Amino acid sequence: MVQQQHQPTGGKRDPGGDPVPELPDLSWIDKTLGWGIKARVEPFGGGMTVDALNIGVYAEVPDHIPFRNRLPRGAYPAPGAGSIGGYYLQDKHEQWADCAGRLYEEAISRRWSTATDIPWETAHGLNDDVELAICQLATELSQHASVETEVISGWLQNLSPGYHEVKLFLSTATYDSARMFEGYRKRAMVNGGGMMLESPGGMNRAILETYAGWSQTVLGMWFVRNSLDTTILRYLAAYGPTEADRALAARLIPDRMRAAAYATDHIRFAISKKPELAIGFQVWLGGVEYAQARDLRDPVLTEALAIIFGRGVAGMDDGMTVVRRLLQDFVKTYLSRCKQANLDRSKSLSGSFQVMLSGMPAPPRPQA
Amino acid sequence: MATEAKPEKYITSFQQLMEEGRKNGYRLDWLLPRETFGARIDSDPDAGGLLLQDIDRGPFAEIPDWSNNMSGRPRGSLTRANAARVGNYSIRTKGDIWLKNASQLYEEAVQRQWSSAVDVPWETMEELPDDIERAECQLATFLTEVEFVAGDVPGKWISQTTPDYYEPRMFLISQIMDEARHMDVFRKRAFANGGGLMSQTTNVALSGGAIDSARDFTEMSARLHISGEGLVLSIFRMGERMSYNAAEKAIYRLAASDESRHVAFGVMHLQYLSQTDPQRKEEIHSYLDEIELGLIAGTGGQNPAQRGTPSSAALAILLGGGSDPTLMAEGAQIALAVRQRQVKEYVQRVKVAGLGERFENGRANATLAAYVSA
Ligand SMILES: [Fe+2]
Repeated sequence: MVQQQHQPTGGKRDPGGDPVPELPDLSWIDKTLGWGIKARVEPFGGGMTVDALNIGVYAEVPDHIPFRNRLPRGAYPAPGAGSIGGYYLQDKHEQWADCAGRLYEEAISRRWSTATDIPWETAHGLNDDVELAICQLATELSQHASVETEVISGWLQNLSPGYHEVKLFLSTATYDSARMFEGYRKRAMVNGGGMMLESPGGMNRAILETYAGWSQTVLGMWFVRNSLDTTILRYLAAYGPTEADRALAARLIPDRMRAAAYATDHIRFAISKKPELAIGFQVWLGGVEYAQARDLRDPVLTEALAIIFGRGVAGMDDGMTVVRRLLQDFVKTYLSRCKQANLDRSKSLSGSFQVMLSGMPAPPRPQA
Repeated sequence: MATEAKPEKYITSFQQLMEEGRKNGYRLDWLLPRETFGARIDSDPDAGGLLLQDIDRGPFAEIPDWSNNMSGRPRGSLTRANAARVGNYSIRTKGDIWLKNASQLYEEAVQRQWSSAVDVPWETMEELPDDIERAECQLATFLTEVEFVAGDVPGKWISQTTPDYYEPRMFLISQIMDEARHMDVFRKRAFANGGGLMSQTTNVALSGGAIDSARDFTEMSARLHISGEGLVLSIFRMGERMSYNAAEKAIYRLAASDESRHVAFGVMHLQYLSQTDPQRKEEIHSYLDEIELGLIAGTGGQNPAQRGTPSSAALAILLGGGSDPTLMAEGAQIALAVRQRQVKEYVQRVKVAGLGERFENGRANATLAAYVSA
């Protein structure tokens, strides 16, 4: 152990004219909650992971963080460190998911680039109607992702740094969404089609207007919207009209799935800590289902998908059969996420979602 | 902003198609080609592939000086009359956030992502003398604490910026990603070699509260990118001198490469603003007045080399080679050189930003000159 050094101010001065102490104050040198901890590198090539740091006295993740500053979890708290402001989500159940640290490392190890990892040279030569339908879909997917970047990045200042694994994961989630935004913007521009009609605003509103809490945001954004987007991407990965379209969708699916994994894990954790939360979550999801169903009654997205899967306007009836199946899969995906989170929606599913689940006898029509 | 489709070239075939579709009960009123339709963009995989800056075409590349986009629609898209005004964007004036080449900076960030888990040779670390290890861990604790100022605060501003200015938003998102890795890599360093976390920074100003509180993006960016990150970058660039193994060297080298992009963003934004909105120069100079006070007296709090703090003492130990008084005194001398370097680099950045007149007309803090010439 090193002795603390307190030296009187000597005669030296710095360029600013201030006296320079002979030696620095070392009173901090024994300020630690647990010395002698050594984290280990993963044995099978995973390197030094963030979860590997949760050992010894640092293993505990408390249920509540009693301060609103950036104290790293496990550091020796400075008396009078004060509050920075923000960071008002101080309870574990408001944000935690056990898988957050793992998902963070996974996002980094699976990083990719739309610039170099998509065979853009294959994205040309489609018939005009299919190309335009792709551009419409790209406009909407790009906007979904753009809204997501706004939403997640806006919450970061509210989430306590004491749960840094969550903040780390959400940083990758924002970055993933940014990649989806630019990936589909690039796709829309690669043949000049560009951005077409903006997406209906109902779901964007349901995701942005979540003053109630981060968990509510997660429900709207990653239970409902993400289930739809992931299902669309799965169909595009299989039936996309060009190799570039299939590759872009296939690349994006794991990114979407990480967000879904965090979301289900988080909601399940929240309910396990506070079972009464499930009541409010159910009501909330009812509202989001309504917004999503209303957006889908607008025919633009489903018509674009029908053109893509029907390989043109002439094949739209066949395409619409695929779209019905897609929407059915969307609701199935959504329900399975709810179930995994211990939030059974099967008995309280909204009417329009039940219709989609049944395979819909008719394509969505514009409502009067 | 152009929000009209230009169908002439395609109108005949499309009308036929749409009529056929409509006969089958589809609406298809959205199926109209835009102005640039058919203008193919080829990318060269050997020249970095299809980059964000490559797709700037037609109305989609028009960046409005003032944005009326309140629905969050992608720039250049056609509007829906019934879209909700969910944007609530406070940044809707181009000069407030814009810079040249933000797309390039974003794409560079994408290409230069790294992994703190596997790109740092953790296994090369060997046991260090106790005082050195404690100093490393204290510095790592400081850095893991302050790094995410630069993630949380840009996060807030991304959410408040219209998507018509998506390029700076995209860069700031890449910065959040970088900062997450920095927060994480310094936490890892604290645990990687048999130490642990040390002491929290002792006051809120020191942990960057002024950056959180800024009410204007440029004010925030000057404090964060020019001041805070500029100071930290100078430290990272000294990494070679305060590293005791290959792992630490790698950490500082990789973090410095990220940090230089963040600083470049701030410099280029100030440069754009000072060129396009000279009326704001006086206001920016007043932010720089405060920043310079912080640089000299330590009121800003992002500077690990700021004397009297645990992190500066840790630097003295690391630079001198131990806590023995002679070594520490040597280290403190080197730390003084670090502070000089910080000041010199700050002056250079402000000049590049187009605000160098303050060093000619006597406005800059007089002590800066003493540091530069010392
Ligand atoms: Fe940074």
